[in-house]
Amino acid sequence: HRAIMAANWVERISAFSCSPSRFLCGSTAEAFLAELLCELRQDRATYSVKVLLLSPLCEHPNLLCPTDSLGEETALELMSMFVQCPPKFVQFGCRLLLALTSVLVCSCCVSIHSRASQDFLDLLLQIAQDTSDLYSDGAVRPLRVTACDCLRELEACSPGLLSQRLELLSGLRQREPSHLHQAYTGLHTLVLRNAVYQLTQEPDAGAQHLKALLGGNTTVAWEAEQDLVPIDNKDSAVLSSLTLGPMGTVPTLQTGPDCKELRSILSSLLEESYLLTPLCQAALLHRLTEVVAMVPAVPPSVFRAQLLRLLGTSEVCLLHATLLMKCAFTDSLFSAEDEAFMLKRLVALSQHPLLGTPEKLFYMDCILHFPENRPIGCSDGDETLPVLLTPRLASAIVPTVFNDSATMLARLNLLSMVCLEEGEEGEEGKGIAYLYEHLTSLLHILENGGSREIVVTFFRAAFLFLFYFCHIERYASSLVGKLCNLYLCHTNLAPHLINLVDQTQDKLTESNWAVELLKALQGVITEAPFTKLTLHDLSWHLKMLARVAEEGQIPQHSTLRFLSGVITSSSSSLCASGNWRLGNGLLGVCCCLLVHPALDSLLIPLADILQHLTCHYRDTDIQDHARLYYAILTTLSREKIAGVNLNLYDAESCPGEANAAMEIFSIRLHFNLTDNHYEELSDISVPCLFRERPSPKVSLRLKPRRPYPTTLHASAIFTTQDGLSWLTVLPDIYVTFQQVFLSPPMSPAWGRNSKLSLFEGLWEEIHSGSGEDSSDYVTSLFCCQLKEAGLLALVKEHFLPFLISDLRAKEDFKVLLFLPPQSHVLLHIGSKEDAVHFDIATDNWHLLPHISSYLLTFQSTRGAAALH
Amino acid sequence: MSLRALWIVSNERGQNASVRFSRMFATVEHRAKILAGSSYVAVPEESIVLQLLLTELGLSDPNKSYVALRDDCLHHQRSPALELHINSPERGVLWPVLAISQGPLILACLPLVDAPAEPRPPLASLLSISQGLTFLAGVQSFLLGSGGKPDSEGLASRLAMLPSVLLQVCPLGTPLDVPLLGQPAAPAVPTSVGNQKLPAWKTGLHRGRAVVNVALIETVRSMQYGNQSRQDLWDVYVTLTLPPNGSPLQDILVHPCVTSLDSNILTSNSVDNYDGSAFSGPYKFPFSPPMEPFRLCSYTSQVPVPPILGSYHLREEKNQLHVSVTFKLHESVKNNFEYCEAHLPFFNRNQMGNVDVKVSSGQLDVSKEKNLLVWGLGQKFPKFREVTMEGTISFSGSTPGPSDPLCTELTAYIKLYFKVADMTLSGCCVDQHSVQVYSSAKPRIVTSRDLISKDYFIWNSTGSAPVSSGQIML
Repeated sequence: HRAIMAANWVERISAFSCSPSRFLCGSTAEAFLAELLCELRQDRATYSVKVLLLSPLCEHPNLLCPTDSLGEETALELMSMFVQCPPKFVQFGCRLLLALTSVLVCSCCVSIHSRASQDFLDLLLQIAQDTSDLYSDGAVRPLRVTACDCLRELEACSPGLLSQRLELLSGLRQREPSHLHQAYTGLHTLVLRNAVYQLTQEPDAGAQHLKALLGGNTTVAWEAEQDLVPIDNKDSAVLSSLTLGPMGTVPTLQTGPDCKELRSILSSLLEESYLLTPLCQAALLHRLTEVVAMVPAVPPSVFRAQLLRLLGTSEVCLLHATLLMKCAFTDSLFSAEDEAFMLKRLVALSQHPLLGTPEKLFYMDCILHFPENRPIGCSDGDETLPVLLTPRLASAIVPTVFNDSATMLARLNLLSMVCLEEGEEGEEGKGIAYLYEHLTSLLHILENGGSREIVVTFFRAAFLFLFYFCHIERYASSLVGKLCNLYLCHTNLAPHLINLVDQTQDKLTESNWAVELLKALQGVITEAPFTKLTLHDLSWHLKMLARVAEEGQIPQHSTLRFLSGVITSSSSSLCASGNWRLGNGLLGVCCCLLVHPALDSLLIPLADILQHLTCHYRDTDIQDHARLYYAILTTLSREKIAGVNLNLYDAESCPGEANAAMEIFSIRLHFNLTDNHYEELSDISVPCLFRERPSPKVSLRLKPRRPYPTTLHASAIFTTQDGLSWLTVLPDIYVTFQQVFLSPPMSPAWGRNSKLSLFEGLWEEIHSGSGEDSSDYVTSLFCCQLKEAGLLALVKEHFLPFLISDLRAKEDFKVLLFLPPQSHVLLHIGSKEDAVHFDIATDNWHLLPHISSYLLTFQSTRGAAALH
Repeated sequence: MSLRALWIVSNERGQNASVRFSRMFATVEHRAKILAGSSYVAVPEESIVLQLLLTELGLSDPNKSYVALRDDCLHHQRSPALELHINSPERGVLWPVLAISQGPLILACLPLVDAPAEPRPPLASLLSISQGLTFLAGVQSFLLGSGGKPDSEGLASRLAMLPSVLLQVCPLGTPLDVPLLGQPAAPAVPTSVGNQKLPAWKTGLHRGRAVVNVALIETVRSMQYGNQSRQDLWDVYVTLTLPPNGSPLQDILVHPCVTSLDSNILTSNSVDNYDGSAFSGPYKFPFSPPMEPFRLCSYTSQVPVPPILGSYHLREEKNQLHVSVTFKLHESVKNNFEYCEAHLPFFNRNQMGNVDVKVSSGQLDVSKEKNLLVWGLGQKFPKFREVTMEGTISFSGSTPGPSDPLCTELTAYIKLYFKVADMTLSGCCVDQHSVQVYSSAKPRIVTSRDLISKDYFIWNSTGSAPVSSGQIML
């Protein structure tokens, strides 16, 4: 049973951490929290399961305890569990402390100094001070480390929280003989840093205050302890590392030269720093760098004894901490030789065979943000070359085809900057020639069928090269030529080329390179012989030409010749194939040409192409679109076409909102019959939909085989600007019985008397049953309660077009309905004493039920009726 | 200096990518929220992170040749920090995501940016970046071991250990150490004797025989083009475990357990002009060793000649390839190999048919389906230290052999694999008698040195080599 329960929890906890939102859909956060706490409280679960149960509280406390009161309650529960936890389950105890820290911090109990958070702080300090484990087997020692970690995190989240305990923590650190000294050191350093920061924010703070704080004797310096207000940690500045270096403004504490206590603490921390793991050492050095930067009375030379060791380190984080130190203290700690050494070391490390790619990339990043002793100007975070980075030095990190993609691009970027700088100073260097040769080596790999990764890398490299060197005509034009050749052999690179064009056009606004490339591509596409053209290549060519057609500066005649050739040439079976995709590609180019500024000169050939597609392309969708474009081209003014399409481009340029702002060119409506009473309906195209105009009305012309009411299924097919076709089902269309009524086909010259005689004649024929199809003849009577005025209104409303008798004859109406193709209904409506009588005669008895339900619709509003 | 989250993803041959482990650090996230203010972007759920990570690393949709989000040429792939572009539930950019991948594993973490979010601070100003890199590398070697390729069971068991490992090394998102290899969970903790504190990274007591094992391994890389216009390149990098006295060593990097350094040791640098006046030893490294084997120091060195000078000539004649190879072993190199093998792969050709190739020494294996010749040179070169290969190969098979976009037409290479025991190219060695151990136990001192090759290429001189040397161009 226990095993099943445990397995169940493992599954649930992993489902929760995988997707808390989905997990909580099936339950509520409150219920889940209650369940977790209940299970933790009880003895059913093993401690290894209990450890697992704490993980949601550690990782997502803000979901489970969204308010401070909930956080407070939960924390109190967890603390009572901690008290009851048997000493041998140290791991569980440690995790309880972690969970408590997470819950109290994230529910903001710590920042509001809630009762539980005060209790927890006391508990942690108590554990941290309890060194009895040193004399036992040390099994509970992890608890002490974890307590220090929790205290450090509380201090990190609420800076200043432990400022008053500085002396206590300092003592604990110094006295700790086991390797736990690292945990105390980390805690002490952070609290020291925050306390000094806190003092810099006090307007009158000075040496005395610092001394008092370090001595733990705050009440001497301040009349009331409360004077040192905890820092408002809603202000993010206090949580930040100090921005060191020329751009940063570091708050300072003026202490005068006497800073003995602080100096002795700093040197003791630094002396033992080598005992820490590299990660903790780096953090320590950075915190102490901040402290020394804030207290000008302490000279940066306190770090000097550590420097050699740090400059020789193989650890990335230690060297990084040293660079940050250099950023803060520049030439007050680092000589010119040190500076030169550090830069050379960074270059060497950027290509060191023992290091992994991310580290090498990071070192290259450090070169471009090198903290110089005397920086020229203030680069605000941009990449700049250090003055000391000579081309010779940089030549150690030239890109090669054997580099992995990221390394190669980083090297290319750095070397390009070096070359650019050189170029400004003198002759155009061999460096650029090398980089260009490198780019062509990559291109050569692509020609031989490089992997997808190399393809992408090449285009990124090409963009970088252009970014720096597109002003050098020789390389820019040579690259155009090489890219054209590449494209002809590998047309499937079209999307990459278009992306390169788009980005260079967007980012290198002063260069015309993108247009030059497009022109050249247009040339190679349109001049190649048709005989060798495969359908695969054609589909990419059309994409490319559509992009070319977006450029107003590029003449489009050759594109049109190409299109025309493709659809009309005798060898091409394109139109006959009716390939929808290619047809769409063709239309895509045409669509772009419609808004080309030189449209006037393209008018006739473009119209010819569209007309050819309309008539010969064996796909109705393509035909319809071609017809639409043709109509737009030949009927709308230039300005209006531009207007239409501009809307379309807007919709396209923001793909995220494309659905909402979708513009539709035309809709094709399609209808399906649900019975066979009517002739089949053909599709209806609704062209020219404009947002700003009223929507067009569509009339459906139905041809009945039998004049019965019916239902039509309807659907719409439309194409959006992105070339996708959509199908949507529309609501059913109901054709009512009365919609089938027509006036009988009579000569308009006939007078009322002639019509009346026709009515009488038919009436007589039906009643006598003497006609050819007399088996179908039937008469009937329908009655309903109506006042005289009511009757008149009814006749006016429903039967006026079919009225044979005079409307003024208020008691006797004769109505003749023709229901195509060949049925008639005659109504003789008259007021009798009890009711209104509808005398019915028809030559098609099948209609009787429909007549009856139609007349019953009057009854529902006008009282009782009966049909006899 | 903290991490907001950690993810471990497995991506077997680009298929079935899944998050194998993830950890959110809630208190760090709490800080991130306050620090970033209105520009805060929350960490999305792991399935979203997975997808975005694969896209950013270029691993999503492996079957599509172009995906705009993945393949944009503007993408800053050259930065070690990735941007994840989140679309839902809210739009935002998660930055800076660090990721390292090896084999099937991708490890990623999101360091806390403890600086004003706008404008975006440079990576170099955030200590959490280098800490994240160190930590990820540590977790990676914990999961994959030093060999780098564990079986799936081994990986699963190490992943299962990760929660308790993180409790020790990164309990609340601030990495304190990298996971230790080999010895999991609470070992006996030593306490110091007298006033001397023990290093935090020395977590156990050594039990067993007192042995100091010092291994010096030099690795030689080479690119030989056999062409006047291309400068041949070779350099040496070394991992040693104790200091030598010999020729100048450059780019010395030391393990953090080294307590002090002589400034002369650091002056020589491979990227700088070597002026001949550099310090030439002895190199002394006082240190307090950790429990597990470790890399005390590494150096590079430039030696005047490559240990094996090769020449490779290919000639295309009548559907046949004429091959001619010579290797000369430099006289300074001990003629006693643990192994020495030359691999001659041929790409972008049909499979081999008739192979009529003779070698002056050693043994030739022909792998026709791989289009590969393996020339085992054995333990010794002949007395005059020169070996040759001569002959013709016809690629008359009906099926195509392996392909490679780099090696087309006559662009081809030989790759040499060799190991020589008890020698170094730089002459660097560890003096057994100079290893001083301050310990009550008298340990046995064992030293060794080896020379091994890595990336040792000899390119066909009649084809176009795919690279040119940077040094002569700039």
